[in-house]
Amino acid sequence: MAGPGDDGLWPNLQQARETTELPGRGFVARGADAIAAGRTLRPAPMTDDPPLHPALLPTGLCDLLPPEAEREAQAVARVMQVFASHGYQRVKPPLVEFADSLLAGSGAAVAEQTFRLVDPESQRMLGLRADITPQVARIAATRLADASRPLRLCYAGQCLRVRGTQIAPDRQIGQAGIELIGSTSPAADAEIVVVGAEALMAIGIARASFDLTLPPLAPALIDAAGITGPERQALAHALDRKDAAAVTRHGGALAGTLTSLLLAAGPADRALAALAAASLPQPAAPLAEQLVATVAAIRQLAPGLRITVDPIEFRGFRYHTGVSMTIYTPGRTEELGRGGRYLSGEREPATGLTLYSDALLRVAPPPPDRTLVYLAANADPETAGRLREEGYATLAALGNGDDQAARLGCTHILRGSELLPLGGK
Amino acid sequence: MTAIHPASALAPPPPAALVLALPKGRILEECAPLLAAAGIRPAPDYADEGSRRLRFPTDDPGLDVVRVRSFDVATFVAFGAAALGICGADVLMEFDYPEIYAPLDLGIGRCRMVVAEPAEEAALQGLGRLSRVRVATKYPNVARRHFAARGVQADVVTLNGSVELAPGLGIARRIVDLVQTGATLAANGLVITDVIAPVTSRLIVNRSALKTGGEALFSLLAAFRRALGAD
Repeated sequence: MAGPGDDGLWPNLQQARETTELPGRGFVARGADAIAAGRTLRPAPMTDDPPLHPALLPTGLCDLLPPEAEREAQAVARVMQVFASHGYQRVKPPLVEFADSLLAGSGAAVAEQTFRLVDPESQRMLGLRADITPQVARIAATRLADASRPLRLCYAGQCLRVRGTQIAPDRQIGQAGIELIGSTSPAADAEIVVVGAEALMAIGIARASFDLTLPPLAPALIDAAGITGPERQALAHALDRKDAAAVTRHGGALAGTLTSLLLAAGPADRALAALAAASLPQPAAPLAEQLVATVAAIRQLAPGLRITVDPIEFRGFRYHTGVSMTIYTPGRTEELGRGGRYLSGEREPATGLTLYSDALLRVAPPPPDRTLVYLAANADPETAGRLREEGYATLAALGNGDDQAARLGCTHILRGSELLPLGGK
Repeated sequence: MTAIHPASALAPPPPAALVLALPKGRILEECAPLLAAAGIRPAPDYADEGSRRLRFPTDDPGLDVVRVRSFDVATFVAFGAAALGICGADVLMEFDYPEIYAPLDLGIGRCRMVVAEPAEEAALQGLGRLSRVRVATKYPNVARRHFAARGVQADVVTLNGSVELAPGLGIARRIVDLVQTGATLAANGLVITDVIAPVTSRLIVNRSALKTGGEALFSLLAAFRRALGAD
């Protein structure tokens, strides 16, 4: 890359950039240097927005730099390896689809978070995926309709959403997940939890905590009690914020049951005891049984796994129809992943789990960085190749002297076939 | 090579001890008996507004107390900087952070969120024919929601205090504010024309702290519940 003073081309290049004319905005300063120096050849009108700094990105988007970009890729690769080892086969849906099919069925839940654009070719509305699960469900229901069930699929990719939150401002989200389609058994719910825990363990996150929830339980209770209209909305909001005072105010006859379930959220045994003690009406009781069976199945597969239960939580699970889960780790506010039961293609029972690669990157302990080895002019190519296979990274000298090694961050140098620590002979 | 600005710099490592965030001012005094009943004994200068200290140890090494502005209690808890906090329902109405749970009504700091107008004008006209109103308030979101629910657009002028001055000095005819006794309103010639909600203080908990919380957090919650006579 050309830099200031590197060659004679630069001043001209800079001048050319500075006088770029943007249509309708007059002459404005261009190029990092001109902006940094606050110089403009001809000042833009006073009322104009200040020129965009070339490093500025839209809200909620960021560049991942070394070494984190590589760490994230490695973490995703490791997680996908664990998924594959449990028989989950990888699929790769496209980034953009027709909005009609992307937002059908379980996709409707993420409609308001989906970027839309018009396809210049077909003139049809396209949606940029905000979640990969509905795409996998579409594949299972169409192209893989005749594949044997239960069908195990996995995926990794980037999603974009319209809005972040103050706490989780990212708008581009990396997902790596599994879907288990065609089984109603609690063993299936337990499998995705345990496979998810194993994947987290593989990248060094040992203290993950799975919060199991029953998103349809609260609506079922509220429906059974015949609470409708604004009261229902107020009650749902109160339940979501675990605002016991407001639940009492809006809960009517349900207030007692809801409050006791609300306060039961926490370690699994205590919460399940409260659930068992609550007298649940018909549609709610079988849901509670599913949850109890799932906890038992998880305990059998992974006795040491940390499980909490929050029976009336229903947040952010609008397409979920049964036992769902959110993954936390102590001391961090961000979620590592989410999943749960849904209807694939609006008819097939399915469950799945998605891990968020950005969150994994922030929480997982960083793996040791590669050792950088400078290849002296006389370095033996075969030895260099062997070092790379062993996990070293080699930097070719490109005709420069050995004195460049330290400046480039190398800790070792290869002379002939001899690997020497830098600073030594 | 090292990253100049690692993404992890966005999220500093969490503090070790549980932190309880308390609001400065009016509610802090009312908190004292409740803290005592729940067995929480902070260093005595925590209630001294003159003290420069902001973080106070308690007799329990696993629990610290911080003293911040009432609005900031919600922010501290939402971001997990404090696992627990005490703040007015007014703050929760305004911010409505999904990361905050409010499991306990502490019954202290009783007041009301109201709409008030100059006494002489209040009698003239309701909202009936208006499509928009100008409102001065510390609670822009609450004000907008309240009027929107009545089909009226609110032009909000956000102030940080002395909201009662706004009608007299011509900033806005209406205000939305917190009222305890109504004395300040009366002194400025204002009357209450609508009550938006009764307000009390809540014990609030960070969502992720509750989900992953150890025994320390749950026993603290239980202590507050006992102190309130709820158990």
